[in-house]
Amino acid sequence: MTSTDPARRSVLSRRDQLAARRSRVLMYGALALLAALFMAPLAWNVLYALKGRAESASTDFHVLPQHWAWGDFKLSLTMIDFGRYTLNTVILAGTFAILVTASSSIVGFGFARLRGKGRRSLFTLMLATTMVPQILTVIPTYVMFTKFHLLDTYWPWVLWGLAASPFHVFLFRQAFASLPRELEEAALLDGVGYFRIYWQMFMPLVKPVIATSIVLGFTYVWGDFITPAIFLSDDKTTLGVAMSAGYVDGQGINMTNVLAAGTVFYVLPVLVLFFFAQRSFTRGIATTGLKG
Amino acid sequence: MSLLTSTRGRRGLPAAAAAAAAGPPRRRWRRYPAWKFYAFVSPWVIGCTLLTAVPIVYALGLSFTDYDGMSSNWSWVGFANYTAAFHDDTMWSSLLQTGLYALLVVPLSLAGGLGLAVLLNQRLRAVGVLRTIFYLPSIVPVVATALMFKLIFDRDTGLVNGVLGWFGIPATAWLNDPTSFLVLVLLALWGMGGGMVIFLAGLQGIPAELMESASVDGAGALRRFWHITLPMLSPMIFFQLVLTLITTLQALSQPLLLAPSSNGGAGGGVTDATHVQQGDYLYMVNVYAQFFNYQKYGYGAALLWILFVVILAITVLVLRSGSFWVYYEVDQDGGEE
Repeated sequence: MTSTDPARRSVLSRRDQLAARRSRVLMYGALALLAALFMAPLAWNVLYALKGRAESASTDFHVLPQHWAWGDFKLSLTMIDFGRYTLNTVILAGTFAILVTASSSIVGFGFARLRGKGRRSLFTLMLATTMVPQILTVIPTYVMFTKFHLLDTYWPWVLWGLAASPFHVFLFRQAFASLPRELEEAALLDGVGYFRIYWQMFMPLVKPVIATSIVLGFTYVWGDFITPAIFLSDDKTTLGVAMSAGYVDGQGINMTNVLAAGTVFYVLPVLVLFFFAQRSFTRGIATTGLKG
Repeated sequence: MSLLTSTRGRRGLPAAAAAAAAGPPRRRWRRYPAWKFYAFVSPWVIGCTLLTAVPIVYALGLSFTDYDGMSSNWSWVGFANYTAAFHDDTMWSSLLQTGLYALLVVPLSLAGGLGLAVLLNQRLRAVGVLRTIFYLPSIVPVVATALMFKLIFDRDTGLVNGVLGWFGIPATAWLNDPTSFLVLVLLALWGMGGGMVIFLAGLQGIPAELMESASVDGAGALRRFWHITLPMLSPMIFFQLVLTLITTLQALSQPLLLAPSSNGGAGGGVTDATHVQQGDYLYMVNVYAQFFNYQKYGYGAALLWILFVVILAITVLVLRSGSFWVYYEVDQDGGEE
């Protein structure tokens, strides 16, 4: 857990202790500076939004707003149809997240608990497909789906969800494989089918993984830019795409500080979701070990 | 199996009793039909075939045509698109730029993530807050990240030029060439906290006794890092290396969103790639432009396949290299197989 070990520290002389304290202060200083650098883009975005239109466009530099313009946060919700785009995104991200969790847990159960010829090679193949860059398939898929009239619909996300995602499958496989084998053996002797074993016995035992999978699926679609930008029209598109082009006034000038205000509303749900899911998320990563 | 036979041979017990003595039989699953396995994994098998394999093969077919996305009278052109690509300066310069981008981003973000993880694995005050601060940027959606970097690096109103102005340094148009590439690299490095979380999880898996006995034997912090921490973390470093490499080589949204919009502000339409600065003109930006700005579907598909082969080659090389430096504590083939 820790790299400062008491056994070693006890034999240090007072001068060494002073030196250790000095290096500790130095390290805290460096960490604080680094943390400030990492927070700067987020903090500046909020401050910029609070400056109001005139002040944010002024070349007269102040870190803090001279006048706090809270009104532009309200404006950011009305200047584009924020509610509609949020609803679009929630429907799209929610559908994908639930479908990909359902399909991936089924596939994960298969890999963890059932046997068939080629199981190992199939699993290796699945892990290998994660190395195919997504963008390589997205553009040809766009050309194909144009022919099937699937463009500007949410069907592609339904199909992607039903197809299961290797990373989600991997999470579920690892979780299911760690459960004791006696669990399903009694049920099998009683003649219970595998699907009921999966659904009624195994799924309730991996609730943290389900939560992780849903959060990951949801935030993936919520934050995705290029796929909705290519596949969806202005009416049906997601909040991220709508925002990137939407905050323009009557003269075609970008309302950058209103966009900055809208960005706060766009980013906040992701941060909140991850904050709550972080524990089970990191635990999932840690226990799966990522060794295969 | 050998245990089972030897037990039976020595004691002359009936097979069933011997099996019971050796614990539950391991191969009981043979009784259950294999089709159930195939049924359970079928969503992925079908989905991967239709939504990954078919599109890639379709792109291969497309790359031998002069299809423009609309007209019905297209024709096969053989390898013409590939020949054109190899004589295209834009293809080479964008490939070079992408290589440079990967060469900077991959090692720096790995080393940065590892360094942060080691620093924040100590018993420090406010370590939880610090971890959150470094982790947060990696989960901010790309649309927001790009906007934030545009605001910070804006020539007239940005934070960077404002702070530099205090020291009398004249304003720079960071978002334009030749510094646009620097902003693109910094934007990628801002997300190094994603790797940090993975490495932190790995660090907590290193037994404390290992570190203690090493330091009792007189190993300094540096030697412990080199001989214990690095080998123990190597599977995670490897995983993160492959992941970062692939995300870097396919980067597209970042350069598109960082491009100065036609009307001067930070937002604006991003449906065309023509505003992207030369320094940010990565390989995928060029592919995107061929498809969506110039409607050269056949040529764009050929470019996609060239990238596919390049990535395949790099991935195989990296995976091969893994056996030389990745250390697995437990045999990978162990477990319940």
